[in-house]
Amino acid sequence: MEFLSLLDITFFLLAGFGALIGIIFGAIPGMTATMAVAVCLPLTYALGLNHGLALLLGLYVGGISGGMVPAVLLNIPGTPSSITTTFDGYPMAQKGEGEKALRVCVIASLVGGLISAAVLFLFAPLLADFSIKFSYVEKFLIILLALTVIASLSSNMLIGIFSGVIGIWLSLIGDYSISDGGNGKTRLMFDFMEPFLFEGFSLLPVLIGIFGISTILLEAEKGVKSGLTNERVRIGKGVSANFSLSIFKGRLTNLVRSSFIGTFVGMLPGVGGSAASVLAYTQEKNLAKDSSQMGKGAPQGLIASESANNALTGGALIPLLSLGIPGDSTTAVLIGAFTLQGIQVGPLFIPENTETWYVMMTALVFANFVMFFLMFYAIKYIAKVVLVPKHILFPIIVMMCVVGAYAINYGIMFDVWTLLIFGILGYLIQKVGLEVAPLIIGFILGSQAEIYFVKSLESAGTLSIFFTKSPIAGVLWLLILASVMFSLMMSLKSRAKRRQELLG
Amino acid sequence: MTISKKTFIGLGSVAMMASLTFGAGIAQAQDGQLRGNIRVVIGSTSTGGDTYQNSSIVVDKLAEHLDLNMKVDAVGASSAFRTLDRDSRGNTLMIFHDQSYLGHLYGVQGYSDIFEEYTVGPTVAINPGNAYLVPKNSPYETLDDIIAAAGNGETVRVAIQPGGVSEIGFSALKNAIAIEHPGMEDNLVAVNTGSQADKNQQLFDGQADVINGTVQANEQFTRLPEDDQKAMRFVWLTARQDTIEQAPEEGLGQTSREQLLEYVEPNVHVTMGDDETFTFDKEFFFLYNKDMDPGIVAQIDEALAEIYAEGEIQEVQKNAFFIPNFKPSGEASEYLYEKMSRYEEIIESIK
Repeated sequence: MEFLSLLDITFFLLAGFGALIGIIFGAIPGMTATMAVAVCLPLTYALGLNHGLALLLGLYVGGISGGMVPAVLLNIPGTPSSITTTFDGYPMAQKGEGEKALRVCVIASLVGGLISAAVLFLFAPLLADFSIKFSYVEKFLIILLALTVIASLSSNMLIGIFSGVIGIWLSLIGDYSISDGGNGKTRLMFDFMEPFLFEGFSLLPVLIGIFGISTILLEAEKGVKSGLTNERVRIGKGVSANFSLSIFKGRLTNLVRSSFIGTFVGMLPGVGGSAASVLAYTQEKNLAKDSSQMGKGAPQGLIASESANNALTGGALIPLLSLGIPGDSTTAVLIGAFTLQGIQVGPLFIPENTETWYVMMTALVFANFVMFFLMFYAIKYIAKVVLVPKHILFPIIVMMCVVGAYAINYGIMFDVWTLLIFGILGYLIQKVGLEVAPLIIGFILGSQAEIYFVKSLESAGTLSIFFTKSPIAGVLWLLILASVMFSLMMSLKSRAKRRQELLG
Repeated sequence: MTISKKTFIGLGSVAMMASLTFGAGIAQAQDGQLRGNIRVVIGSTSTGGDTYQNSSIVVDKLAEHLDLNMKVDAVGASSAFRTLDRDSRGNTLMIFHDQSYLGHLYGVQGYSDIFEEYTVGPTVAINPGNAYLVPKNSPYETLDDIIAAAGNGETVRVAIQPGGVSEIGFSALKNAIAIEHPGMEDNLVAVNTGSQADKNQQLFDGQADVINGTVQANEQFTRLPEDDQKAMRFVWLTARQDTIEQAPEEGLGQTSREQLLEYVEPNVHVTMGDDETFTFDKEFFFLYNKDMDPGIVAQIDEALAEIYAEGEIQEVQKNAFFIPNFKPSGEASEYLYEKMSRYEEIIESIK
């Protein structure tokens, strides 16, 4: 237990401080955990490795959790991985249950974070060996599985799938980057668009635009009558105070399953964080006894989404610390803390740096608790955001969105135009009856799906590789089939029910 | 990771933009001198990579020496070039490596001729770690085995990231096979992948026989037991012997300098014809906007010369497994142009 001597009060203060700043970054639309870590990276020079890691891990955990706040209260995912939190969180907030929704999210986040930390601590090297069994083919199938959520998410399956395909199409605009092993040539655009769209539309401006700006446009159309963003949100002794742990009764399987899904997806390098919560959400939708309320404001959706996206933290550290490969975008920045300190990360990192390893585990677990206490007790006040009159709140949100979009790629003005384009597009989409959620999921997962699909074909030269690659591929196909079948059944059932109601 | 590429970072830049306008206003105008806040963009989006690490070391020292506020931003090649294009005042500088001209030689979109479009600044360091590896249980013991195998009609698959530093060693190898076993060079096949993780994965999957990697990223894998699926072995470091000789004696991780020297010329010979051996040192250097005041070029040259004369930066670089290699901009530009011409020949000859 020599490492205990490395832990001092500064260490814990930094981890706690990191969590706080992370939450703020995560909660501001357009600012992400990745950004928070990147901005503070140079500080690790001055702080030294252990203190630096405490700060960065705090930022990481805080940043991922913070995304739930705007997702629930404003329908804007604060980070890409909290997109599925909006599906149930915002409807709950509209019903006046914003505070309750946030509390559910916070608890789910804590459980997800702790489960993944435990998995990381106990099984990291073992799981790293398992994760390298996932080649291009298996990664493609995982993304395909996540894409099947489109079918079960849409209210009209045909329109939903159509929207999803449009999303995928939009994600293909830009170059097939040489850093992904592509040819670096642009497609789906005219020459004059190249300077702007070389790397395609940036994810975050699209996300904030299509959720945030379009929501505001829709609200603006209604006009500001009530004066309050949501008069029904009751603070303190109202409905939302009725939160009790009993919400989690019967949801334990969901909580644990989603945490494991999150950890698992985090562990696969190159399968982005948003796939974790989408996948957990799909599985809850498919496997729960009653998932009819999901998407309309069901706590089970929040549990799935938030436990999965926080479980990502521990998961993404697995390949980082046992293969030297970052599991997601934030850990890709985090690796800089090691390089700057001259520490090699690779398969021998844990055995050769046992003390650093324990220090990291301590910081990770501690940051999760700090996040929990900070958020759980601050929710009362945070939820009051929705009490701010619309004519004051909305301009502020728009301003934050614009600043966030501008900052995301170091001051690219086109990202602000992207925000506005997709804001208007999001508005029009809802007007013509297309569905936003499938479209955005298609957009997020599309480009990865393409890369893994093309790479699988390149290395095998035949389509049959997708079926014959490995037993893992077989299992994934079964899951995909089950997921599609389930959505079909659900849709047929609800159609039959509707017909009966009409006849009756 | 799409997100990692696009969702990169930026609060700093907002603060910076604000302070830039501010700082530029209050700075005393003095011709041909750096002033205000300086943003150093790099051609990589990774903050965990060698470009960021090396740039941080140099920029830190430079900022301290010139008493200026300087910050490294990992924006990636195409953004970095575009940002540099827009600013001729000297508030944006760029640090990148040989990829900047190799990208152009390989015809990658977004790369132009740096010797035409930009001013080439001083070189600062070499990363001697560019390496080629095989699985530990590979039948190929040496690079010669690989050349011979391809010469005998065996297909050898090499995982690389196309269009630059990762490909140049592959091109040289192909060229060597063409010289030693004419007509057999097509047996050396490139498997185009992206990140180091992807290249490693190709090896684990058995989809590649050889991968491009680095000493820094792959050294630990070479120390795994042979029965581990992840175990690898170096067969070739592209750096010059001189370069590796300047590395610290203890080498990197548990691999000493002496062990590393086994994998460089003359022990490993990749012919370029005429008894010439191919080598490749990945060198880091500054790039400036073409219209930037020559006074600033001179100022940075001078400052770096003083920093290198003090000798402290060399220690920091060596500790981080970089080989210090300062050449003032005039000399660097000439040197790099010549270096480019040599590689141009190789790339042309295997087209």
